[in-house]
Amino acid sequence: MTTPLLEVTDLKIHFFTDEGVVKAVDGVDLTIERGKTLCLVGESGCGKSVTSRAFMQIIRKPGKLVDGSMLYRFKKDDGTDEIIDLAKLDPKGKPIRQIRGQEIAMIFQEPMTSLSLMHTVGQQITELIRLHTGATKHEARNRAIEMLQRVGIPKPDRLIDEYPFRLSGGMRQRAMIAMALSCNPTMLIADEPTTALDVTTQAQILDLMLELQNDYGMALLFITHDLGVVAEIADDVAVMYLGKIVERSDADTIFNNPKHPYTQALLRSIPKIAMQRDELEPIKGMVPSPFRRPVNICQFQPRCNQRFEACSRVEPVSTLINENHSVRCLLYEDVAAVHQADTEAVAHG
Amino acid sequence: MWQYILRRFTYMIFTVWIISLITFAVIQLPPGDYVSTMVSQMINSGMDELPPDFEQEVRAQYGLDQPIYVQYYKWMRNIIRDGEFGYSWIYRRDAKDIMVERLPASFAISAFSVLFIWMIALPIGIYSAVKQYSLADYTFTLIGFIGLAVPNFLFALILLFISYKYMDQAMIGLYSQKYETAPWSLAKFWDLVKHLWIPVVIIGTSGTAGLIRTMRANLLDELNKPYVDTARSKGLSETTLLWRYPVRHALNPFISTIGWILPSLIAGELIVSIVLNLPTSGPVIFNSLMDQDMYVAAGFILILSTLTVLGTFISDLMLALLDPRIRLS
Repeated sequence: MTTPLLEVTDLKIHFFTDEGVVKAVDGVDLTIERGKTLCLVGESGCGKSVTSRAFMQIIRKPGKLVDGSMLYRFKKDDGTDEIIDLAKLDPKGKPIRQIRGQEIAMIFQEPMTSLSLMHTVGQQITELIRLHTGATKHEARNRAIEMLQRVGIPKPDRLIDEYPFRLSGGMRQRAMIAMALSCNPTMLIADEPTTALDVTTQAQILDLMLELQNDYGMALLFITHDLGVVAEIADDVAVMYLGKIVERSDADTIFNNPKHPYTQALLRSIPKIAMQRDELEPIKGMVPSPFRRPVNICQFQPRCNQRFEACSRVEPVSTLINENHSVRCLLYEDVAAVHQADTEAVAHG
Repeated sequence: MWQYILRRFTYMIFTVWIISLITFAVIQLPPGDYVSTMVSQMINSGMDELPPDFEQEVRAQYGLDQPIYVQYYKWMRNIIRDGEFGYSWIYRRDAKDIMVERLPASFAISAFSVLFIWMIALPIGIYSAVKQYSLADYTFTLIGFIGLAVPNFLFALILLFISYKYMDQAMIGLYSQKYETAPWSLAKFWDLVKHLWIPVVIIGTSGTAGLIRTMRANLLDELNKPYVDTARSKGLSETTLLWRYPVRHALNPFISTIGWILPSLIAGELIVSIVLNLPTSGPVIFNSLMDQDMYVAAGFILILSTLTVLGTFISDLMLALLDPRIRLS
């Protein structure tokens, strides 16, 4: 195993609302390898976007990073590594601002609202280039045109002076990608970058991102709920449910040998060509309200078709099935240990 | 773009014309006219024997016996052709002369008030939005609402008292006595500034609260937009990104309403001018309406309305300059 680029341990992000505390991210462990693609998969509201935002410390209020570490391996100019704990950086401070955009860049879901409609595409890209490289206006503009060309925008020297609302959705997302890559980031976070686009454009953007990853060799954290996309691009997959990673392995294993009942259910719910409409099997039940999540027991248990008696009393921990595959489910925990926890739970009432 | 300007300009001309019609009609609405006011004053002052057709003759002399549309036509014709706004029966002078005398002071006060409001309200609004629900946010909101709630005349009296008691100067009028008729000089201008701040602060504070709330609400909306996250993810400092993105977006609604501020400022100025004895338009409009001195009232209202419409036109242009969505669509 190579040394990971980013090693996240026990990340906790809570939202302190008037109605109560929402534990959006509740103890996430993740590793992202240099140059590899990790797909973070889960239903809406499971905390995958919030997790990715934590890496750049751009969590929205009233969200707060309350615990955990995010060790980022920063390559210095002299070739040596320096390990920075991103969790310890001040969200408004200079160190994290130097990482944003330059080391870690991000592409957002909605290209229409994620770009400012009152600034030209060029203004928004050159701003980033000039901020991190100290390039002159002219140099930054050339670099921006070069990037726009690279992401397949026709007539980039004219389009650079256009406003985003005059571009199609696909072109906007291309411009967004050009911006994110303009400072050659080591890691790129893409938060559902194709969700807002139509299907043909989705495929084009996806191909483009893979191609660029090959060229630039950056690590890619791809957030999606679309398992079809995952199959196409992922090296590794992490499945998230209610703020926790429930299963993590390489893409092959996840698709061919899924262990967690939630992952299995997710895979069964993908429509396939030549399938009858009524054969589709949705996951039963609903994602519980953020204020009424099960505590100290298995969180997926109410919707699970393999639950057994202990599931409603013991909280599963992350178990290594093999070196490269971890599952958070009682089915795979040491039976004795489960029993032990079981009796303890009974003893404590 | 040019089409947009041309369309706005046509609307503007049309609006001014409608306003002139309404103004003229409304001024005629109260029963009686200046002649009946005059006659009743003459009777009150002891003249019981008036010639039987006295009223008729005076009316004919002023053209008041003609139908209203003829009066309107002549009024408009004189304004457009000669720049004449008619005659003031009370002041026994041309209405135009009175307007030339009074309007500049009104505009000086209004312009400074707008500046004052913007300089105070925008930064506070921005600060309140960024530090939402903080002590400072609540404090500014409270002060703003007090400013809104205290009636202008009371505020004027309080400031008058303070300036008299602690600065040994009654801040009445716009100039000190020795400069009243003096020609323009730096000293006279300084004297004007020293007097001007009181009405500016009084008129300004009442407008500030509303603007703080609007700016705060606008900016709060913008602060949660995805493009702010994008800007932050680039590594911009909080201050830079705040000014460059959300504030820029939040300013648009203000620019489009600059033109509408004028009428409310003139209305606010009226009471303050009466209390502080300022030589502005407010008191003259008020008196002319009370005494049915119709050409003075109509002239002032027409000019102020025209300027309001013109202000709106200018804000439309500024908005087009600032917002590419308008400029390019």
